[in-house]
Parts: sequence; structure tokens; C-alpha cells
Amino acid sequence: MKTLGTLLAFLKRDFLIEVSYRTSFVLQFFGILFSVLIWKFVAGVVDAPRNTPGLHGVDYFAYVLIGLAFYHYLSASLSSFAGKIRNEQMTGTLEAMLVTPTSTGAIVLGSSLWEFVMTSIKVLAYLFVGALFGVVFRFNSLLPSLLVLVLTILAFSGIGILSASFILYLKRGDPITYLVSSVSALLGGVFYPPEDMPAYLGGWSRLLPITYSLRALRGALLRGSSFSDLLPDILALCLFAAVLLPLGILAFRFAVRRARREGSLVQY
Amino acid sequence: MAAAILTEDLAKIYVKRRSLREMALRPFARAERVTGLERVSLDIPHGEIFGLVGPNGAGKTTLLKILACLILPTEGRAVVDGAVVGTDDEAVKRSIGFVTSDERSFYWRLTGEENLRFFARLYGLDLEAARRRTTKLLAAMDLGAVAGMQFMNYSSGMKQRLAIARALLHDPPILCLDEPTRSLDPIAAKHLRRFVSESLSAQQGKTVLLATHNLQEAEEMCGRLAVLDHGRVLRQGSLAEITAGLPGRDSYVLTVAGLGAIPADARWSVEVDGKRDGLARVSATVERGGKALSDFLRAILDGQGTIVSCTRREPSLQEVFDLMDAPPKEAGPR
Repeated sequence: MKTLGTLLAFLKRDFLIEVSYRTSFVLQFFGILFSVLIWKFVAGVVDAPRNTPGLHGVDYFAYVLIGLAFYHYLSASLSSFAGKIRNEQMTGTLEAMLVTPTSTGAIVLGSSLWEFVMTSIKVLAYLFVGALFGVVFRFNSLLPSLLVLVLTILAFSGIGILSASFILYLKRGDPITYLVSSVSALLGGVFYPPEDMPAYLGGWSRLLPITYSLRALRGALLRGSSFSDLLPDILALCLFAAVLLPLGILAFRFAVRRARREGSLVQY
Repeated sequence: MAAAILTEDLAKIYVKRRSLREMALRPFARAERVTGLERVSLDIPHGEIFGLVGPNGAGKTTLLKILACLILPTEGRAVVDGAVVGTDDEAVKRSIGFVTSDERSFYWRLTGEENLRFFARLYGLDLEAARRRTTKLLAAMDLGAVAGMQFMNYSSGMKQRLAIARALLHDPPILCLDEPTRSLDPIAAKHLRRFVSESLSAQQGKTVLLATHNLQEAEEMCGRLAVLDHGRVLRQGSLAEITAGLPGRDSYVLTVAGLGAIPADARWSVEVDGKRDGLARVSATVERGGKALSDFLRAILDGQGTIVSCTRREPSLQEVFDLMDAPPKEAGPR
């Protein structure tokens, strides 16, 4: 209960800071509108037939809309944990938080929560604007979609926490963010189906959680796939979450311990 | 009764991280080591204001950060209000309020009140308790009128007072202050010192560990002090204890009637401030130890002077530092 209260305090803090930049708060939603518009026109030019192997019967605009929208969760995971830690280090507030009895884990989680809330609002905005431009969503698989979303966030968070560990230890030059975000954008099926890439490249997409996440979300939201249809992807995401999350937490504990030993916990 | 703060042979060695280039060029070279603290043992009872004085890099902040669980010691033990640092950090953090010397450590776009309420939740206070405690502390720190002002518009003095209010949110029995008056003007610094001495220490009985290189501040506020340099405690105790046995000279102020000429001697230097009603006020520094003081007084008496009063002036910490900075032969063992 106390932890929940602490997490809510983080949410309130970040909400107050976010709305104190009113123009930027509003402009990011215009950004979403423009982004969707751009891809609407790109889709018009591409005009890929629905029977293109990786599209699985949906049109390219709907395909890329889901990719764009849910890629934000990966970006949020990678930027929020590591980015917040670095930001708090630089403003001196990390030290002020670390001297409180709140655990380091709760501080990291709490600091990132707002980013996920904002991402969820942005994803809804993407889907809403997409619907305005003709994308038809199926809501009969809403529960499996939510399950996929939760597993996606857990798996991505594992990577994000791993990335934050590097920031704590190396201060800058975290290799995880660069590697995972660019490889995921290239191979993970965000903008085009991995099946349509050359086999020597497309095969690597199986090692990325975003591949399973986007495939399952497209299946659920665009085709109304059933739970059993989504099961292979759900199991793959469970596996990623089961490996990446504990790995991230262990790495983070190690990094905190090491930074405390070196006296570099609040250095940047 | 257990000490508020106890450290036993506390040591911190910083190992400098080597760059990739360095590791490639000299793969078997030992990483450079820097001593942060060396066998520091302190025993600070509850209710005391204890000063850590020393120049920059002496180890004051390292010691405070170990006590606040931000740094792990390399060796030795630190116990805060009965809880061991590194073993029971949560209990340590509940007992200690840490005021950093970094005045940026708040959220600049939030108001002072919003900042305090946020940190109150991190200290485990529920919503209502956080609200009450925040209001009370803002009033106590004379920030009630600016509670709704964004932190970025606070003056340095306000920021520092807010930092102290934050450290008191969970009402800890021990307060660690790292250079609390560094960026304050003299009047604000005086008010802060009075608040710590009178309200926190005398009225509320809090233990205060004050790190400062403002010697006057340490003299004014602290019952006992530890003088640190290069991570080592050079001396600790009351100011009188710290200065006792220091080689060098003692200062005296004498009132002398019928003062005659005092013969020059390498062991003393004399300054006559003025004569009034036949009485001369003499300031003298006399070599400590041996017969120097007796010979000096005898010289006054031999010149037909009558010593009406003679007071030894306690050396200031600045003078102690000067003596400690003197070459080892003159300054004695460190």
C-alpha cells in the first residue's frame, strides 16, 4: 500500500512538471497527428497489396500505424529508466531521493511510470487518429491485447532497466539503448514485415521481443485473432519477460552496489 | 545509551577507473587509489552538535555520505542510532536527515510545497501526514509565504532552508549538514546557525553533524570538533582539547600598571594597545612550553610594572589550522 502511495507521488510529481510546460504538452499531440498523416500518405504511395506475405491481410497503413504506436513503448522503456536516472543525477535530485528510505528499485520504477502513462495516452491518440483515417479495429480480443501489452511492457522494461544499469555504471555511452532501439526499428517489424526482408536479416528478428509483440498486437487489434492464435507470441513474450526482467533487476542491483562502493552513485 | 553516531576505523579508498586506452597501453598497471577516509573513529552522543572541519578534499563529505548510505566504506564500521550502515540501511535512513551542499537538488518547476510533499511520501508519510508536516516545516523555516512559489524563483537562502525542511520531514533524531551556509549571506547564515543551535539542538534535542570549512561557524556552534585533513582525523575534542599541546605560541592579553620597557626576546612578541588611567593593555604572543611565559612576566615585573590581569586567549580554529599547516618540525606530530 505504501509502495503504491510512493508510486502515485512520482506520477503526481511528473504530471505537475509535464503540465508546467503547457505548450510542449499540447504540441506533442499535434506531432502524433502529423506523424499519422505522413504515414497515411506514404502508405498511399507504397500501396502494398493486402496479400503481401508479412501483412497477413491488413493494409499497409494499418500495419505501420500499430508499429509506430507500440514502438513508443520500447522507446519509453529505453529512455525512461536510463534517461530519468541520468537526469536526476544531473539535477542532484537522485541523491536527495537515495537518502530516503524508499528502495532504489521503487525510485527507478516510480521515476519511469509517467513515461509509460504518457506513452499509453499517445498510443491511444495514434489509434484514435488512425481510426479517423479509416483503420478498423477489432475489439473482440481486447483482453488478449492487454495481456500482450503487459508482457511487452515487462519485457521492454527489463531492457530499459539493463540500460539504466549501464548509465549508473558508465554514466554515458550506454550501448543497450543504441543497439536495441536501432536493431528493433530495423528488424522488428515496425515499418515493414520481417518476412519480406532477405532471410539472412529477417531471421534475426526472432531474437527481438518487439517482433512478437507487434505481431500479436496486429493480430488482436486488426484481425481479431483469438487467444489460441496469439498463444505462440504470448509464450515468446513470457519467455523474454522472464529472462530480461530479472536480468535487468540483477544488473541494476550490481550497478548500484558497485557505484556505492566507488562513490560514484550520483556522479554523471 | 548507544551513541547517535559511532564510527570505528572507518576507511574509504577510491579506486580511479581506468580508461580503455590506459587499459590497452598498460594492462597490468594498478589502478590509482585515492584515500577518502583513513581510520576515522568518532563517538558522538545524542543531542550534541559535532563539527567536521577541514579544507576541501579533507573527507568531510565522504564521511557524511557514508553515514547517509550513499557510499559504502572500504573498511571499518559506521553505526547510526544503533543501525549499521551497509547492513540496515533503511533504519539508518529513517534516523538521519541529510542536507546536501547542492542547492539544485529540487524540482525547479514545482513549488516549494509540492517539492516537500513529494519527498515526504518518499520518507513514508501518508498523504495527510505529508500535508501537515510540510505546512509545519514551511512555517518553521519561514517559507510559508512562498510555499506556492516555484522553486526556481527561490533565493539561495530560501533554497537552503527548504533543503533543511526536507531533511526534517521524517523528524529524524540526527541531522547531517554539509556546508549549510556556503551560499548564504551573513544574515541568513546567522539565522540558520541560530535555528540549528536553538531550535533543533537545544529545544528538540537533535544530534547535528556539521561539516564546514567555516571555522568561525564551527567554533560558534559545535561543542566538539574533529579536524580532518586528507581523510585523517588530525585532532578531535573541544576547541581547548584540540589546541592543547599544539606547538607554537599562545596569545595573552594583560592589563599592566606602570608598564616599563619590555626587553625584546625571540620567544615573545608584544603589542601595547594603549594606556588609559595609567593602565596599559598589552597583547602578547609567547612561545608555548618551557620558561618563556615565566620569563616574559618577570620582564614586565622587572620593568616596575604591576600585572593587574592576565588572560590567555583561546586560539581560533584558523590559528590551529595555521599551526597544523606549518612544517612538521614546528607543528609537531599530526
